[in-house]
Amino acid sequence: MLNKKNIRKLTELVGGEDYLVCTKIPLYTFSYDASQYFGNPDAVVFPTNTEMVSRILKYTKESGIRVVPRGAGTCLSGGAIASNGGIIIAMNKMNKILDINPANKTIFVEAGVTNKQIQNAVESHGLIYAPDPASMNVSTIGGNIAENAGGMRGVKYGCTKDHVLGIEVVLPSGEIIRTGQLMGHNDQIDLTYLLCGSEGTLGVVTKALLSLTPLNSDVVTMTAIFSDLGDAGQCVADIFASGVVPTTMEIMDNTLIRAVEDYTKLGLPKEAAALLLIEVDGYPSEVQGQVPKITEIFKKNNAVSYDIAKNENERQALWKARRSANGALGKLKPSMIVQDVVVPLDRLAMMLKNVSKIADKYGITIAQLAHAGDGNLHPHLLYDYRIPKDVEMVEHACDEIFREALAQGGTLSGEHGIGLEKIKYMPVAFNEASIKFMKSVKEAFDPDNLLNADKVLP
Amino acid sequence: MDNNAMLETILKCNRCGTCQDVCPTYQVSGDEFSVARGRLRLIRMGLENKLDLNNEPDIDTFINQCLLCKACEVNCPSSVPTAKLISDLRENYTKLKGLPIAKKVLYRGLFSHNHRLIPIRKLTRFYQKSGIQGVLKVAGVFPSINNLIPEMPKFSVKDRLQDIIKNIPNPKKKVAYFLGCSVNQFFSQVGEATINVLQANSYSVTVPELLCCGAPHQSSGDIEEFKRLAKYNLEKLSGLEVDAIIVDCSTCGSILKEYDELFKDDLKYKEIAEIVKNKVVDISVFLLEWGYKINPNNDNKMKVTFHDPCHGVRGLKVKDAPREILKKIPGIELIEMKEADMCCGGAGSYSIFHPKISRKVLERKLNNFNDTNTSVLVTSCPACMMQLGYGLRNYSIKGEVRHLVEILAEKL
Ligand SMILES: Cc1cc2nc3c(=O)[nH]c(=O)nc-3n(C[C@H](O)[C@H](O)[C@H](O)COP(=O)(O)OP(=O)(O)OC[C@H]3O[C@@H](n4cnc5c(N)ncnc54)[C@H](O)[C@@H]3O)c2cc1C
Ligand code: SF4
Ligand code: SF4
Repeated sequence: MLNKKNIRKLTELVGGEDYLVCTKIPLYTFSYDASQYFGNPDAVVFPTNTEMVSRILKYTKESGIRVVPRGAGTCLSGGAIASNGGIIIAMNKMNKILDINPANKTIFVEAGVTNKQIQNAVESHGLIYAPDPASMNVSTIGGNIAENAGGMRGVKYGCTKDHVLGIEVVLPSGEIIRTGQLMGHNDQIDLTYLLCGSEGTLGVVTKALLSLTPLNSDVVTMTAIFSDLGDAGQCVADIFASGVVPTTMEIMDNTLIRAVEDYTKLGLPKEAAALLLIEVDGYPSEVQGQVPKITEIFKKNNAVSYDIAKNENERQALWKARRSANGALGKLKPSMIVQDVVVPLDRLAMMLKNVSKIADKYGITIAQLAHAGDGNLHPHLLYDYRIPKDVEMVEHACDEIFREALAQGGTLSGEHGIGLEKIKYMPVAFNEASIKFMKSVKEAFDPDNLLNADKVLP
Repeated sequence: MDNNAMLETILKCNRCGTCQDVCPTYQVSGDEFSVARGRLRLIRMGLENKLDLNNEPDIDTFINQCLLCKACEVNCPSSVPTAKLISDLRENYTKLKGLPIAKKVLYRGLFSHNHRLIPIRKLTRFYQKSGIQGVLKVAGVFPSINNLIPEMPKFSVKDRLQDIIKNIPNPKKKVAYFLGCSVNQFFSQVGEATINVLQANSYSVTVPELLCCGAPHQSSGDIEEFKRLAKYNLEKLSGLEVDAIIVDCSTCGSILKEYDELFKDDLKYKEIAEIVKNKVVDISVFLLEWGYKINPNNDNKMKVTFHDPCHGVRGLKVKDAPREILKKIPGIELIEMKEADMCCGGAGSYSIFHPKISRKVLERKLNNFNDTNTSVLVTSCPACMMQLGYGLRNYSIKGEVRHLVEILAEKL
């Protein structure tokens, strides 16, 4: 708990009461993210520049106060939750775009800008910021970096860390460091890659220099419908094997198709076992060569039918459908756990089928979404937290999915992070030596264990 | 909705955060307690008895700060009806505690008896003309209302009906015009324009004697009064032999279309409400469907932009019709503003009771208007006209706010 003196000092550090929340009711609205975890912070501060973040962290270190960084609060693994009190540093009001350099194809931003703000700002230059997580309309760049967020275009363009040129970070000591292309003469090692994906446990990202990508002149968006989920998975593996690299390959299963159709009313096939969304981009000649190859592979894998978006409106509608997938499932059950396992591409079809089997075995609903091109599966386990049996079955199913993924040579998390949710599986996924090494890295950055303290490491 | 049904509905929110992108109060504040997701969290805690919603003064503030603009609802992948939940909650609160005194004076005292708005208009006009506007503030009940109220017309629409209504021989269609309180008293030029445009296009117009549609009562949770007004209006409207009921106030229009929902447990009125609902139509949609004429020689150059009233774009679901009409008018260039469908912060009496956040929402709208470099901000709801007009005056922004029908009337 914080005392009056702490609150007074923090208020002073952020520049007034407007930038601090410490009363009961509004604090409750910072007790969640998009996961199933809850926890009340003792205060929330909204810094508006790097020096403030630095002074806040110096003070929290001095006073032994726990700190949790937060962006938009769309984390799916509980990373943005103050699970043991302390303060939340909410970065979303540090949201200025500092510079756009179309010639160098870079943008320099504060950590609280949303992914969408960036896309809007660079659009008129014929550029995009390639990582496009489904939460892009609201999630912040700081949160994207902390989770190393992937996006739908990830198959071809990579994920967040492939587009971060340098960051400014405040360490738990309050010290400000710059990495990559932002490095000055005093900085020694480039820590960019270490910090990307560190889930807010090593430092608070305050600014980022990002690389932009030219918008490709030609885009074709296709959908194919399957009466068997495994066929859709095999189709993806075959497309890759053929040498075509689409920007996107997303699979939705029947449960998802129905939930999304309920919201979007696009006329998606409610009976289909799977829908595969594929996008290819490039020069017209390139794209035109790829389309027939892909449709050939659709046919070979028993696609019931396939379709090509006729115009930008149709294309946007499909994307809206895909982005609403996670939200739309809320209608079915009050609670949901989104898994994030990754398997090698040639195991995708089998993994999709095995997840369905696990759902049947435990009698629960699992809606399957997959960033198939990366072998990244998002089984959405739906349940009612008020029914103890449901909770128990979901837990068993989770365990089994993880074990299955590891058995197929896969990993725990592609992009949503370990957070609170997957800590218990860390010892299964990593051996003792690896975990010990990770702990020593954490200790080097945060010897007092105050920054996002109970996350990630067991 | 009862508490259980409310809870089940709220549980559909899986906290995905999508609403942050569209909720105006979040967009201007960045505060999680000012977004649908946060409001739902607080309501959920209330319903789960972790908070006493009725006795937390803070709760009242956070929940009542919702503009009921429905932007979250139409964009929520889980279709959580946040605005509806909040109105229901306000209804329960009002049942329990009664209306706060200022709202009682404003809604029950004035809007429920719309003839009482007459002296307000006359007095206000007197004060405006005599240059002692500050006097209104002394009334104390609504300190900021003075700035909000537009230049008062000398006569209400009703005062002048006898002169305006014409006999149209062989009309193309027979319509009733739902003359809302605000148009009648504060924007009589809009009401006159609506009638003139309709008549000039050979539609015969009757203007039935009605009561307030009930919007202010609904949004403050005064459902008992809302029902009384609705019943009266339904009985009058259903007795008319007309092809359509025309609205030029998006708020009135969408409220009229919600009467069936209000009477979902009252078969008799529900049935009437459904018949009326099918006849209520926004003037722009009606004109596009049944035809209208424009004087091709009157092609004064004018750059305009269009602001979608919440009750228009999300209530009546009217988005394209006014734009199509504007684009076809010779001389007019329509330039879209950013976030055209984001609430202007007026939301009825919202700006009176939540001045700070309302101001921020308004400033955002005005900036978007400024960026278009147009001189006319066209819209189709008097509540927005009041708020936007106040904004332009107060921030000394060049330009004027006009209702779509005012422009049409000039181009006859
Ligand atoms: C509907 C939906 C769709 C999603 N789709 C995708 C997807 O396609 N791909 C994907 O990868 N993820 C996805 N996610 C997960 C989530 O959106 C991402 O992890 C996102 O990057 C989180 O950003 P945020 O701003 O919301 O961060 P938060 O949720 O606020 O925080 C996430 C983590 O980052 C830390 N953090 C936040 N800001 C900072 C900072 N400035 N410095 C240091 N640490 C910080 C927090 O402590 C926390 O551990 C989705 C989530 C939802 C709800
Ligand atoms: S968009 Fe809907 S489901 Fe998502 S957080 Fe907002 S209210 Fe909840
Ligand atoms: S109705 Fe409008 S103001 Fe209220 S929560 Fe929804 S988007 Fe926000």
